[in-house]
Amino acid sequence: MIQHVDLSQVVDAAPARVVVTRDTSGEVTNVGFDLSGLPRVDAMLVGRPVVEVPALVEHLCGICPAAHHLAGVRALESLAGSAVVPPTAVAVRRLLHYASVIAIHATSLIVTHQDEALALRRFAKAVMTAAGSPGHFPSTAVPGGVVAPVDASQRDLCVALAADTLLVAQRLAERELSAVALPDLFNGADVALVDDDGYVDLFGEFLRATASDGSLVIAGARADQWDELVAEAVPGSSAPRPYLKPLGSGSGAYRVGPVAQLRVGVMPTPVAASFQQMWRQSGGGAASARAVVTVHAVEAIAWLLGTPGLDEGPVRTDWSSDLPAAVGVGWVDGARGLLVHRYSTTENSRVAAATILTPTAQNEPWLGELLRAAVGDTTGDEARAGLEEAIHEADPCLPCSSAPAGAMDLVVDTVSASTAVKGA
Amino acid sequence: MCIAFPVEILDITPGPMPMGHVDHAGERVSCCLAYVPEAQIGDFVIVQNGFAMDVIDAQSVAESLAAFDELAGHVPAA
Repeated sequence: MIQHVDLSQVVDAAPARVVVTRDTSGEVTNVGFDLSGLPRVDAMLVGRPVVEVPALVEHLCGICPAAHHLAGVRALESLAGSAVVPPTAVAVRRLLHYASVIAIHATSLIVTHQDEALALRRFAKAVMTAAGSPGHFPSTAVPGGVVAPVDASQRDLCVALAADTLLVAQRLAERELSAVALPDLFNGADVALVDDDGYVDLFGEFLRATASDGSLVIAGARADQWDELVAEAVPGSSAPRPYLKPLGSGSGAYRVGPVAQLRVGVMPTPVAASFQQMWRQSGGGAASARAVVTVHAVEAIAWLLGTPGLDEGPVRTDWSSDLPAAVGVGWVDGARGLLVHRYSTTENSRVAAATILTPTAQNEPWLGELLRAAVGDTTGDEARAGLEEAIHEADPCLPCSSAPAGAMDLVVDTVSASTAVKGA
Repeated sequence: MCIAFPVEILDITPGPMPMGHVDHAGERVSCCLAYVPEAQIGDFVIVQNGFAMDVIDAQSVAESLAAFDELAGHVPAA
């Protein structure tokens, strides 16, 4: 099914829409968030040369272009089998990824901590430039590697900013951790990427899933196992209800993003690991999780900038765009969580089917639970503040997420259970 | 998937939280310019969530519009 993009919804923000379903006695039976403002472009990609897909998608999603860029290039490499990306190229890709995470997390701070947010974004911009992406749309990665190593003078500029930026990020984390967090009532799983030792790795090659009690559901699966890990209950929908296949469609709902990243494993950088312990003791809200992940991203960049060989090759291995008919999956753990590109191709290297699974779509069940808790037993506008808080917590990539507290354009529609069933 | 679109800045109101109007398909739409202190009238910016996220160059504008033209078919007249 082809979906057209309503551009008026992009600039002139549509209200957030929460749908409360009640039965004939007035009891709340369901609370959901309307994700129809998030079009799926998957069907529009069919028939196109697959090598063009990453660039097309990153230009449509202008908010996380680096995440789409990197996940897309990884998916192309996956189509070709195993591409051995040189260490320098991996480091340059990581710089771009961590910087993009910082830039996006800074967005949520602009209203409350403007100077700090701008400092974080300046640092992120300098790092992205050093990683070969000076413009808004990234130009760092190519299948098999990257275009160029880091320029030594740009690296030095980033090094000069790193220490102060880490202090800014630490101050923000301390403030966020001292604030009262929403209780975490989500009883689904948490999913994030890890390294081969099980540490949290936003650019990791292994997917880990833990249940709400912390027990392992998936210890560490590779991207080429994706079809065994996750399925969509409503394929192609804006709200596809993905679930972990090992748990089944009934109980396999999961969450991605900073909260999941801090719950699945230990942070590999020391300052963030220390904050992570405080975060766990504090009850673990999403705003403070974003701040802790930001600290980690700054630390990771500082460490990468100090690694030898960052400014010299080799930076790519041979890669042929003459691809077999195959399935390729690429992923990154971005600012809002796991982003997955899955392409299947025809014999002539065109897209037979594509799936772009976003963090917002994966977090819809979590947001639904938060909204339901916010509605509670209330019947009217008294739930409004709680609903706003719930939406800020899950942070869907929609216009409502950036609204200051109390200023969200929010519509609450109440429907009867019989109407909801009829409309389903 | 979230969508972001390049638009041209028509005016800027300076301040602690600078605001501006952008041209969206011939309509003046308000957005926050706090993230792009370097932005000038006539620049193109990527806007989402009511915030201008970045100033983009002419080539990026053309690439972005081409992507929408190709896939969405709903590119408004400039």
